[in-house]
Amino acid sequence: MSSALNRRQFLTGSMALAAGAAAGPLLAACGGGDSGNVTEINALLITGGDRYPAYWEKVTSAFTERTGITVKYDLLQFTPLTSKEITLAAARSAQYDVYSTHTAQIGAFFPHFEPLNNYFDPADLADFFPVAITYMTNPANGELAAIPRNMDARTQYYRRDLYEAAGVQPATTWEELVAVGQELTGDGRFGLVLPGQGDPAQRQFADFLWQAGGEWLDQNNNVTFNSDAGVEALTFYRDLVQTHRITPSDVVTYQWNENSAGFTNGTCAAVFDWPGAYATFGDPSLSTVSDAFATAPLPAHKTGISCAISHGLAINKYSRKKDAAAEFIKFTVTPEALVDQYTEFKNYPSRMSTADKVIADAQGMEKQWLSDLRTTIENGKEWPKVPGFDKVSTVVQTAVQNALSNQMSPKAALDAAAEESTRILQQAGALR
Amino acid sequence: MAIYEDTLPAAPPARRSRGRPQWLTGYTLAAPALLLMLVIFLYPLGHSFVMSFFRWDLNSVESPFVGLGNYTDLFTGSSFPQTLRNQVVFTVASLLIEVVGGMAIAVLLNSKLRGLRPARTLLLIPPMVAPAVVGLNFRWLFNEQYGLIDAVLVRLGLPAIPWLSDPGWALISVIIANAWQNTPLLVLLFLAGLQAIPREPLEAAAVDGASAWRTFWSIVLPLMRPVVVIALMIRIIDLFRTFDVIWLMTQGGPGNASNLLTVEAYKLAFQSVDFGHAAAVSYVALVLSLIVLALLYGIPRLTARRAATWQS
Repeated sequence: MSSALNRRQFLTGSMALAAGAAAGPLLAACGGGDSGNVTEINALLITGGDRYPAYWEKVTSAFTERTGITVKYDLLQFTPLTSKEITLAAARSAQYDVYSTHTAQIGAFFPHFEPLNNYFDPADLADFFPVAITYMTNPANGELAAIPRNMDARTQYYRRDLYEAAGVQPATTWEELVAVGQELTGDGRFGLVLPGQGDPAQRQFADFLWQAGGEWLDQNNNVTFNSDAGVEALTFYRDLVQTHRITPSDVVTYQWNENSAGFTNGTCAAVFDWPGAYATFGDPSLSTVSDAFATAPLPAHKTGISCAISHGLAINKYSRKKDAAAEFIKFTVTPEALVDQYTEFKNYPSRMSTADKVIADAQGMEKQWLSDLRTTIENGKEWPKVPGFDKVSTVVQTAVQNALSNQMSPKAALDAAAEESTRILQQAGALR
Repeated sequence: MAIYEDTLPAAPPARRSRGRPQWLTGYTLAAPALLLMLVIFLYPLGHSFVMSFFRWDLNSVESPFVGLGNYTDLFTGSSFPQTLRNQVVFTVASLLIEVVGGMAIAVLLNSKLRGLRPARTLLLIPPMVAPAVVGLNFRWLFNEQYGLIDAVLVRLGLPAIPWLSDPGWALISVIIANAWQNTPLLVLLFLAGLQAIPREPLEAAAVDGASAWRTFWSIVLPLMRPVVVIALMIRIIDLFRTFDVIWLMTQGGPGNASNLLTVEAYKLAFQSVDFGHAAAVSYVALVLSLIVLALLYGIPRLTARRAATWQS
């Protein structure tokens, strides 16, 4: 008998191999379940710089050491991470057991994340900032979709040296923001930098909207962002760029990276940025102003409200290893883990007790900054988490850009966006 | 011939499967490939077509059938009409720049001018660059604060141009970036076509004293028509699916000033998590490009048929 592989043998072998490959996951799925003997989970985690891979390696190794469960993980930046999670959720994929997520996008994922209420003790949840828990909870059923890892709220970072030279103080009101900005604009420098594109533009508009006393929706989910307060907010936003000209003229193309870069490269004297920027601005290898910046709370208008959002971790609803996944996400939000995260990235702790400890241990400018941020977070808000609001966000982002680039008046832009948003919310069944 | 036939050995009788018709054997052999095609090509195409008739949001548990609702929403919405206009402007302007520019450069390179050989090699570079890299490069070149192009304009005493932040310039900027990458491809196609043109009619035109322009218009261009049509088809297909360059340069903004159908579909799917409307936009783009291609393919054939009828 010949030992050479003939065509029939090849085809038979191939078919057997293909059938085996197809049946493997199916059998695993049938026989799976989270019976407590899981030895490996998969996680899709966020990265945002050179130090993140080492950080996640440290966290996952420590978790394995403690539980015996290995965490295989992939790292992605925020935008591709969200796109991938959208695709995986739409496909009801069980590829990952744990997802990194964020308050801003969580509304889309409510039906696809496992409720965490049964995995966390209510007393333990009470230690987290209420605003973080509120906006990571599905308002339709009260289910907690993700656990917050770190808080995102913005600070006014300014050039101490320039402000001192000009004899001005950081702005505390909208009027002062314009006056100080005008004082510091000139000779190729701008008094302020703002984002003006995509989600960051909506985030900036949201802060101005709340500060002007406005809201996105009323109690029945009717659109209210085109109220007088909304028009005042968008008019102020546009005027900073087009009338007062205290920002670079092309901020309509800026997202977070360009916003931060305007400050670190010394072009702009002030910026509203996230807690993580504190570490970046202070790092001489990343910033030309590392020894010349200081912080202050954001300027207020009729209110001092601005956004308070958070990064978090969630369990994939289609995971077959939910208990093990829950162990991992609990491990990442212990007080020790949050302190470590703060030390590594200046990420603001999501637990109030940990925030207090970090504030107590800090000194000087850092202590004041952390303390101011705590106030901002306690008073902070987020845009609504109702069905259809992701699409409303896209419509609003376009409206903000239309106003910032003088294609439409703020009122016309907001009215057009409100009309379309009402239709979207009606279709999504969100209007009461 | 007959001698050969006589001396050749008789061909063996065609081997037939026992009772199995030959066509069935053919289909059986082709079945795996056909099946693969169905799975990887037709299924997603059909699935997204079906999806375009459903309200399919990621954050909704139910996906009700809405008929043509997604399509009517698009045409009555605030952004889609402008997006459609942008797509038409982008497609027509890009085709004009790329075809006219490509033909001009190809004619120049086809001439006997010395020193043009390196240019042919350099032309290979832009089409080889990834569109994402082109988008990022042009985003920096057109940057108003640090960009090279505005710096040169200012140095020349000209006003800086708000390339990406001005609604009037944003679409022009992405057309320029796109043309930079794709015109060389047409140059190479046209150059190949020009070099395949027979010498005789050109020599006859020269003997008759025809000017260079007259020769180009009356001889070269008609002979190049098949190449031009193929080039147009390739580019139209490509222009209707251009995404990377636009997304990286403007994200379709400011507002919707440079929004194209692909960008709109991406925003709907991955920002609005609204797959039903995103699928509808994709099908509008597909139908539009098919209509343009049908016109491009059909009009010359129709003209030729009418001419033949008229002559007879």
